Amino acid sequence: MNGLDLVESEQWLIGQFFGVDHPFLRINKATIIYTWITLAIITLFLVAGRSFLSRKKGVGTFIILKFISFFVDLIKQSLPVFSMRHFVFITTTFCFVFACNAVALIPWMEEPTIDLNTTLAFGLIAFLYAQWTSITTGGLWAYIKGYFSPFFIMFPLNVVGRLATIVSISFRLFGNIFGGSIISGIYLHAIQGHFLWEIVGIISGMNILITLFFGLFEGFLQAFVFGMLSLTYLSLALQGEGH
Amino acid sequence: MAGFAEYFHFGTIALTAAINAIGVGIGQGITSKNAIESMNQQPAAADEIRNTAIMGMALSETASIMGTFISILLLLQTRAVANSYYSSLAEIGIAFAICCTGLVLGLVSALPARAACMAVARQPFFSREITRFMMIVLSLLQTPIIFGFIVALFIQSQAGLVTTMRDALRLVASGMCIGLGSIGPAIGLALFAEKACQGIGKNRDAYGSVFSFTLISQAIIETPIIFSLIVSISLLFLVPELEQEDLLNGITLLAAGLCTGIGTFGPGISSGKTATAAVEQIAINPELQATLSRVTIFSQGLIESSAIYAVLISFILLFWL
Repeated sequence: MNGLDLVESEQWLIGQFFGVDHPFLRINKATIIYTWITLAIITLFLVAGRSFLSRKKGVGTFIILKFISFFVDLIKQSLPVFSMRHFVFITTTFCFVFACNAVALIPWMEEPTIDLNTTLAFGLIAFLYAQWTSITTGGLWAYIKGYFSPFFIMFPLNVVGRLATIVSISFRLFGNIFGGSIISGIYLHAIQGHFLWEIVGIISGMNILITLFFGLFEGFLQAFVFGMLSLTYLSLALQGEGH
Repeated sequence: MAGFAEYFHFGTIALTAAINAIGVGIGQGITSKNAIESMNQQPAAADEIRNTAIMGMALSETASIMGTFISILLLLQTRAVANSYYSSLAEIGIAFAICCTGLVLGLVSALPARAACMAVARQPFFSREITRFMMIVLSLLQTPIIFGFIVALFIQSQAGLVTTMRDALRLVASGMCIGLGSIGPAIGLALFAEKACQGIGKNRDAYGSVFSFTLISQAIIETPIIFSLIVSISLLFLVPELEQEDLLNGITLLAAGLCTGIGTFGPGISSGKTATAAVEQIAINPELQATLSRVTIFSQGLIESSAIYAVLISFILLFWL
């Protein structure tokens, strides 16, 4: 997408090493850096969580166990049989997307998810995982036959319908997070430079309210929706569509 | 011609602020009327009902805030735009993107808020959960206006550069696509959200089941809006540029925008009604949630295929003609 100019950022042209320049070989600098910072933050949380779990009692242990048992219940409700692989996949997806959305709470940071490439990658991962699960459980023949159901002529529509799930799941995340980041960015830009407005914004709590709403609340909501939708596609793939 | 430019420009400014205010105003009136009625039914729960109603009205005000913001933004740029006829014509797209969405959203936001007030009157001791649920439902309901706002900002950033009729029609088409396209899904979302709030009010043991079903369903009902957003963004950025005037191409682009905009109307409402029927049953029988949600998601997939056909036709119009 050449046009989304509101978040113009520098690019690494890695294709130039090989003497070619193609949009596919350009890497968005900001997205990569912020994604790596997000990964570092997740790693910190993991280390902290491990040290919490090594103790017997404590608030941290309680929160972690509660979180895990919530997701275990969710997956037991949705899937026919509980499977550790699916549990790990869904929980990891949720945590990573949530961390990517909420990283905007840190000053001078942007969400990696305001780049369409990131959300498309998330959507592709969820889609491919569901398709792979469908093939491994039902067999390749049943998977291919699914495209020709209920009639033979429905094949192109089935293909388009399945590919549309990638587009819808990734554009939903992108649109919501991007819109939120634009709105809070415009607000912060509007009060910047006016001493009086900045004071009013800080004292009335408006700054904190907007940042928390779009960063934490909306980010959590969209990450949860993303996880639930991946789970839904997974359960449709496991049970066979329409049976 | 130059006189019309100012009509278009100032008309857009007035409409964006006014129409959103009309929708939100009527919606808030409905909410407060029902809040007072439910206080009348259950005077002991007056405080809880008041909190719920205030939260609901505050969240449904998003539409009018967005409209006012866009209108101020346009007013500040009057000097730069008012000289060109085509730039002002392109701003009609902004009016479509913000007004259609804001009017419908302001009106329908009253439905879940109203149902939540009734539910609190029915179950005062469960009011915290009901209010939290209504807040989540209403924030998911604001998705169309956020998308409309993004598209309006993009149109606004491109409108100053427009020099041909074809480009002006392209921007109008983009606004029409997201504006008309979010009417149906917004109504579907609100119908569903109302029944979900009512269901929790009837059977509070179903809270967990209804909650997870609501998140999935609202995400799936709003899929047609995402299709409209994709067509809008393609109209804004991906359509090949032409140097000379080509009116026929402009009309083709307008048709592409209208195709998706009108095509998502039916799928949005009917997908919402499907989920509404399911959530009524889940509120009565929470243990049936897995079966019902599977059937619902499958039928919603079939319903949304007609929106996908509209998007396909739009893309054929955009890139092959």
